[in-house]
Amino acid sequence: MTPERWQQISRIFKSAILLDNEARAAYVESQCGRDDSLRVEVEKLIDSHGKADADEFMNGVAAEAAAPLLTNDEVRRQEILNKGQRFGSYIILDSLGSGGMGEVYLARDTRLDRTVALKVLSPDITEDKRRMQRFRQEAKVASSLNQSNILTVFEFGEVDGLTFLATEYIDGETLRDHLHGKRLRLGEMLDISMQVLAALDAAHEARIVHRDIKPENVMLRRHDQVVKVLDFGLAKVTENRYPTLEHDSDPEAITEFRTAPGVIMGTINYMSPEQAQAKEIDERTDIWSTGVIMYEMVTGKQPFRGSTTSHTIVQILEKDPVPLTKLVEAPAELERIVMKAIAKKPGERYQTAKDMLTDLRRLKKRLEMDAELDQTASLVVPAKKDLRRQKKQVAVVVAIEIAVALAAIFGVTLWKSSHKTTSPLVTTPEAPAERTLTYWITVQKFKNNNPYQDPFTLAGEINFEANYHIRVNVRSPQSGYLYILNEGPASGSPEYNVVFPTSTANNGASLVPAGETVLIPKTSWLRFDKQQGVEKLWLVFSEDVLTELEPIKKFAGIETGGLITDPALNKSIKDLLDRNSATKPAVEKGDSLTTLKAGGKLLIYPIKLEHH
Amino acid sequence: MAKTPPQHEITQLLAQWREGNQSALDELYPLVYDELHRLARRYMSRERKGHTLQTTALINEAYVRLVDQKNVAWANRSHFFAISAQIMRRILIDHARRHQYAKRGGGAQQVSLEEAAIVVPDQSGELLRLDEALKSLAEMDPRRSQVVELRYFGGLNNEEIAGVLHISENTVTRDWNMARAWLYQQLTGSGAN
Repeated sequence: MTPERWQQISRIFKSAILLDNEARAAYVESQCGRDDSLRVEVEKLIDSHGKADADEFMNGVAAEAAAPLLTNDEVRRQEILNKGQRFGSYIILDSLGSGGMGEVYLARDTRLDRTVALKVLSPDITEDKRRMQRFRQEAKVASSLNQSNILTVFEFGEVDGLTFLATEYIDGETLRDHLHGKRLRLGEMLDISMQVLAALDAAHEARIVHRDIKPENVMLRRHDQVVKVLDFGLAKVTENRYPTLEHDSDPEAITEFRTAPGVIMGTINYMSPEQAQAKEIDERTDIWSTGVIMYEMVTGKQPFRGSTTSHTIVQILEKDPVPLTKLVEAPAELERIVMKAIAKKPGERYQTAKDMLTDLRRLKKRLEMDAELDQTASLVVPAKKDLRRQKKQVAVVVAIEIAVALAAIFGVTLWKSSHKTTSPLVTTPEAPAERTLTYWITVQKFKNNNPYQDPFTLAGEINFEANYHIRVNVRSPQSGYLYILNEGPASGSPEYNVVFPTSTANNGASLVPAGETVLIPKTSWLRFDKQQGVEKLWLVFSEDVLTELEPIKKFAGIETGGLITDPALNKSIKDLLDRNSATKPAVEKGDSLTTLKAGGKLLIYPIKLEHH
Repeated sequence: MAKTPPQHEITQLLAQWREGNQSALDELYPLVYDELHRLARRYMSRERKGHTLQTTALINEAYVRLVDQKNVAWANRSHFFAISAQIMRRILIDHARRHQYAKRGGGAQQVSLEEAAIVVPDQSGELLRLDEALKSLAEMDPRRSQVVELRYFGGLNNEEIAGVLHISENTVTRDWNMARAWLYQQLTGSGAN
């Protein structure tokens, strides 16, 4: 309706409702003339007016309901978007926190049906040209890079005046959080370093220098520890591979370091000498920063750290850091690699990320071989250490180092108790394939749609009351691929709903790490409907990925209730689940949980939830 | 927890907004929100159970605390309430959205297990549709939509609304009648379009 039309209607309406029925009809007639559609609209509105009165429509004040909600912590104004809200083609699933630039959300891209991290710039930043530039830069640079250790950027755009960046979602933590002031195991530290370097190698190949490599910008994915390098916001595209004379054309980043020392203390510690002096910057700056991170991972300490920004800068420029091996027991070769990376003169560092990566790979391989040798030897010759040491020409390999390597590779806690770990390690004999899964059920009673009493847990199924809302908790000592489907009591061919994985439960992944408890659902409850009967919750837990079940992921989602609408897929699920009748797992009901054990690589079991 | 911002700051921002500076509203919104939030929480922690928290009382208290009473102008008070109305609307709509989201949508009727929302009284769908309708109304007729917002979401009476919008009380009544009839029509599906 056009505003003009609306005004026309409103003018007739406001006088008409003051008249009695008879006079009103005549008035409307006279005002509308031959415009029948106008008359119809006016009459409809008058009719609605009467009905609204009779229905007491909007007689109350909605605001009164708002005040109690204000007491709820869940309502936070900092969030620009809210759960469930649509944002362009995205649906906001959760808030992931806020960064310097704005809010980060977990969202579902409805076009491609994938989960993404959505970084939404706070409106006040959009005003800030420099920061906008940075944001745009990040999008542009990162989306031009396609490497598995670089965070993938999907989209950069604007919805309702809000600028956003959609990237791959990583469920994990930053290296900063992971470090938390402690040292890392050697194997882990090497894995992380090599992945950072692989990312840098790809970026450098594309002539992009990151310039801000620090633990905050290195993300570790939770379920597989894959490293993702983030934040190409300060990245710079170099014209020459090795510019020598020209001055850095973008002093802004440096000014930022210089002018706001208090704010960016965290960053300055990873700056190269040339960065600190606002000299020209190239790929070797990233090599430096990686070296600093490695030093920190190994020793738990930053090599250059002063009490103030200027002290730190002086250290970066002049101080030789304490050698790694003075602080911890570390392979001498590792020390050589790190020290080469943080040579003051760029010309004395590794010249490419690739070279450094090669050295690290070689070191890792050697440590693994040593560990294997050590292991084999321990079964045969008691005096293996002496023999092996003689064989080695290189004097750097000492028993302790082997112990460290062993510990790293086999995941034993290390560094502190390195002497203990020299005891021979025996390979665990290959256990016969078996799948174990435990589950228990949390119950929350509801009354008038509100929870009451504290939730309690059950070892397994009971006959549930209608007002019980439940959550199923699943855990296994083994890692594996988990799929959970709900089958209703309906007769005829069964229909299934995806209960797990969902984007909120496990970031959409079916692989569940050993020992991790999966809550189903994660943040709310399962509730029974009015139809009585037995609900089946099929647990499928497999050592290998199940290609026939992987497609269920795309049906997950609260919007559709996870209902699988593909008949062919339904059929193949049914076939798979039917196989269960042949290989039923053993069920042990414990006091606090139920344990399922199945021979082979696949466990299939229906939890039967009866309710009345 | 954030400190309460100085009174003169809020008073100034209110004056700026009254003079037509929209960015003043952007600054005011979070300040007022935080204060309402803080008051509500404190109030609830003190009150006996079953005692309801009055929105208008809450807004009044926030107003007294936030706005410099020495330099108070009637218009300031009205504008303060207008912001509060916006805030209340947003809180309610956000809440309704969350609720709708937690519920299962189309195609899921056959399904028996459903994810339940924790807080229910189910008018959320209606509220969301009202909000949408109100947005359409705002496009055709911003003033009438504001009357609705102030009255329904802000709890203001006609006199107060008249003060905020610089119109007569009679006009407020007429605007309300028209807007409400139209919204009713939209929500009951006897749409005029």
